[in-house]
Amino acid sequence: MAIFLQLLFTGLGIGAIYALVALGFVLLIRAASVVNFAQGQFAMVGAYMLVVCFNVLELPYLVSMALSVVLMGLFGVIFAFVTYWPLRHRGGLPVIISTIGASIFLENIVLVLYGPSPAVLPGLFDSPGFQVGPVFMDSQYLSILVSVALLVALQYFIFEKTLLGKKLQATSQDKEMASLLGIPVAGMILFTFAYSAMLGGLAGMLVAPVLFVSVGMGGLIALKAFAANIIGGYGSIPGAILGGLALGVAETLGAGYISVPYKDAFAFAMLLMFLMVRPQGLFGEKISEKA
Amino acid sequence: MKLLEIENLVARYGAADVLKGFSFSVEEGSIVALLGANGAGKSTTLRAISGLVPHVTGDIKLAGESILGRKTEAIVRLGISHVPEGRRVFPGLTVRENILLGASNRRGLKRRQMDSEVDATFDLFPDLQRLEHALGWTLSGGQLQMVAVARGLMAKPRVLLLDEPSLGLAPLIVQQVFKIISEIRNRGTTVLLVEQNAHMALSVADEGHVLETGRILVSGKPADLWNDKQVRAAYLGGLAG
Repeated sequence: MAIFLQLLFTGLGIGAIYALVALGFVLLIRAASVVNFAQGQFAMVGAYMLVVCFNVLELPYLVSMALSVVLMGLFGVIFAFVTYWPLRHRGGLPVIISTIGASIFLENIVLVLYGPSPAVLPGLFDSPGFQVGPVFMDSQYLSILVSVALLVALQYFIFEKTLLGKKLQATSQDKEMASLLGIPVAGMILFTFAYSAMLGGLAGMLVAPVLFVSVGMGGLIALKAFAANIIGGYGSIPGAILGGLALGVAETLGAGYISVPYKDAFAFAMLLMFLMVRPQGLFGEKISEKA
Repeated sequence: MKLLEIENLVARYGAADVLKGFSFSVEEGSIVALLGANGAGKSTTLRAISGLVPHVTGDIKLAGESILGRKTEAIVRLGISHVPEGRRVFPGLTVRENILLGASNRRGLKRRQMDSEVDATFDLFPDLQRLEHALGWTLSGGQLQMVAVARGLMAKPRVLLLDEPSLGLAPLIVQQVFKIISEIRNRGTTVLLVEQNAHMALSVADEGHVLETGRILVSGKPADLWNDKQVRAAYLGGLAG
């Protein structure tokens, strides 16, 4: 039981990272109908921004994080102008290809700037953690969980309780109608890109002390986040969060009880199982082919 | 005063001219109806006014000032509110939220003021009050139309563009919708109405234009249009004797 609880805690921590990236993914699908294949690289870029701010510029940790998050927002807007804006009237596929191109570009530009050797970031807290009953609460996993919980609450508040959130929802549901009401649709989409990049970047910064910061770190996270989306229900916000957590728990339990080298396989086995048994995911609507 | 002026309007989709150069104007405080069969260019005219049609020439003026070439969002801010065909009520938002967003064109409006204005619209649409927390996708056609019009009015428009408000509604609801359209005019808002239901449209309009394949075939007061044999035969329900 003690092992189970320990694995559950770790699984939720890593799952929260997947959830965060998945959340950024879903928001862009909903607001701009963009399937962003560079969402994982957002995490990588975010982590490297933190490396630059903290390791190189030697700013305090929290200041480094805050600055990196703001820079990620700016990065998201630039990303939108380069990959999405020129192609926005051409349908989904050109934008998808453009984001794939951007993901390759981002990895290589960071490789040129920073080299292939991974960087190491310390955690937010000096203390490694503390014991609660049978479970050792690792301070980094705990800060991941707390940060993600706060972000989800903030996002709920913005989307459900503010006029800005309603305008964002309106834009994602019917862009032309939103513009007919005087809602600045372009502004809403840019905001979503910025926010989505901030979420992705933050996921990278939070996971950085647990993993090494490397150029390739985004790829696997993005794949897991995409799987989380499918498991949760494509395009569903609660689905992204729950799908991410479920995936993290499944792979950690699999690694803990069966085999560590097959950790990633458990995650994708879960994806395959969902595709076979419940393709609409946890929160998705069942879509049947039209006759 | 001429509030809205359409001058020699030409709109192009691909190689084809959908609107082939016609002019008309809308007097402040009146209801003007655009009639005609499917594909005559009625909806395209409204979409051109709202800046949704990319290739338009001629001119469109609001209170003497050209608005041609402006962005849709800017045109709404100038006071032209468009209730499009098919209602386009946001399915995932509640009735109240849908109506609230109608005020998005009015900058600097306080949330409290908006909320009290939404409450005030329930005077005109009493049926919506009990539905205020219902999501858009759960509403019936008539309810959707009421929400769409209420949302359009939240913009406090100088001109309200209504595209086929009676489409797909039961006769009793159609009458209710047209009663509301008259009431909107009586409260001082100018209305440009696109309709296939010529009978109902002419019963409330001050002036009508019949469109045929991108041109104005005939214009006049409702009574004159009723008496025009050609128009009656072709567009007003085949009631010609």
